[in-house]
Amino acid sequence: MSYNYIELISLVLLAIGCFFILSGSLGLIKLPDVFSRIHAAGLIDTLGSGFIVLALIVYSGFSLLSLKLLLIPLFLIFTSPVTGHAIALFAHESGYKPKGKNKK
Amino acid sequence: MAKLNKDSLKTLSFITYFIILFVFWFILSGYLKSLLLFFGLVSVLFVFWMSYRAKALEEDSLPLKIILRLPFYWIWLFKEIFKSGITTTALIWNGKYSPQLISVKASQKNRTGIANYANAITLTPGTVTIEVDKKTFLVHALSKKLSEDLQTDDMNKVITDLDK
Repeated sequence: MSYNYIELISLVLLAIGCFFILSGSLGLIKLPDVFSRIHAAGLIDTLGSGFIVLALIVYSGFSLLSLKLLLIPLFLIFTSPVTGHAIALFAHESGYKPKGKNKK
Repeated sequence: MAKLNKDSLKTLSFITYFIILFVFWFILSGYLKSLLLFFGLVSVLFVFWMSYRAKALEEDSLPLKIILRLPFYWIWLFKEIFKSGITTTALIWNGKYSPQLISVKASQKNRTGIANYANAITLTPGTVTIEVDKKTFLVHALSKKLSEDLQTDDMNKVITDLDK
């Protein structure tokens, strides 16, 4: 019986992660300029991957494998802001101006 | 821990770095045979020697004082990421975004702290650090609420306290 609970929890977490990835991808298309799109990509990086890894940890049970899985978000914490910052800085240096108001 | 002089602090940070490297090796491999453990030790020593040679073991890059507070900080950071992630997701779906540039002051003392703060801003969805100029950041925020959250200075204080 408890087995089913674990499956259910990891299913819910996977669904949440997928929802964040979906909204991130939507934002990547919908938002107006480079700078805003970085936010959407950041959403995928942090919350999307975070929830999916969490779901995998719950599903596999606590073992050495889950420690390995925990290393993935730990490395993402260090690498994902660096890439986001690199894109933003390059866009800024090459003269892109962020769009001001909501034009819809 | 605060009363240690510079040399013993350095030795202590070397030992910590060594232990972290070995634990990392063990998590990735999971072997318990003595021969393989010995090989692991050799590779850890090699990496240690390489980073010593590359002068990657200066006092600034191994923040020994904050290493115990880091897990709590990460939990707090995850909470912040979750909160602003919800806001950003709502903004994407309902389309009420109004992107804006703001400048944020940082009060951290050393370079590691400033990099930490800039990374934390970028990591929370909806705000990206574009440019770091000594003590002020140029930040791009997706909406007015997100930029106001940043200007309340909460995150700045937490990261400054991390380094006390």
